[in-house]
Amino acid sequence: MVVDIVPQFVPAFFQSMYVPVLYGGLIVAFIGLMGIAIEKRDIQILILTDLAGLAMLIIVAAVGTDLAEALVLPGLVVELAETLAISEILIAREMRKAEDARSFAPMPLNMDMEIMTTAPNFISLVLIGYGIFLSGFTGGAVAGGGIVLFALSRKIRGLPVVVIDGVGAISGISWCLWIIGFLLFFMMPQYWLLSLFLAAFGLLLKVASKMGLIGILMREEYGRR
Amino acid sequence: MLDLAIWVYAGLALAIFGSLAMVIGPGVKDPIIRTINSEVASVGVCLVLLSYNHTLALLTLIATTVVITLILLRAVSRLEEIGADV
Repeated sequence: MVVDIVPQFVPAFFQSMYVPVLYGGLIVAFIGLMGIAIEKRDIQILILTDLAGLAMLIIVAAVGTDLAEALVLPGLVVELAETLAISEILIAREMRKAEDARSFAPMPLNMDMEIMTTAPNFISLVLIGYGIFLSGFTGGAVAGGGIVLFALSRKIRGLPVVVIDGVGAISGISWCLWIIGFLLFFMMPQYWLLSLFLAAFGLLLKVASKMGLIGILMREEYGRR
Repeated sequence: MLDLAIWVYAGLALAIFGSLAMVIGPGVKDPIIRTINSEVASVGVCLVLLSYNHTLALLTLIATTVVITLILLRAVSRLEEIGADV
């Protein structure tokens, strides 16, 4: 019987909800996979892949407790990286098919409004502040969203190479901080608070700078004439 | 106080409804409309995570949904610019 292997500390609510949520996730996955099977065009299949990721999230969430939370975060990161990589491959393939060197257009709409230049400053400030308060991977994602918003809303272009290299260097150094913090956990457990903060803020800087770089690269691409 | 199970069922119903809207909904031949329809299913998953008390997972899902939407819209607009069959 499955109930025997469930630990005692899992709340009764999670246990009673496990079967309905599992079946709900399976139904979503079935609908998404049928859609992928019917569809012919590649970009539509890429968009529908998002649905398979959502079904994965529902099924993992049904586990409940901290284990589910620990499994959801890597799943989200992998889904993000996979979507980014496949969209790049699609674009590269279509460009090779098209052969003629067509210039990339700027944004489809000419959004020249006052609010587009003033509001993002405040919103990104709030996002970055909240991200630093959260720390860890989630904080990095939230702060990185703020940086992406700020980078995309700027009109001036032509970021110096030094800045891009510098952001990359911050990312690498913070990755080392994370690894040092992780090692300290096992080598010197009495410094657990120091290693916890090293790991949390290393990961914050890492993820935030990576997402900021994505935003800057996207802006450079759209601005090209 | 409403039963907590109601929110789980509401989230599941939204997720299933949103995924149906994404696959056979009106106007899904346009990739932009399909991308926007995916937000309905995403809100359903948010409700499920919320009722399970997964705060970190919920915040990360919201943050990555924004980035995935940006990536997909960029891919769609660039493919249309190249003149590919989207």
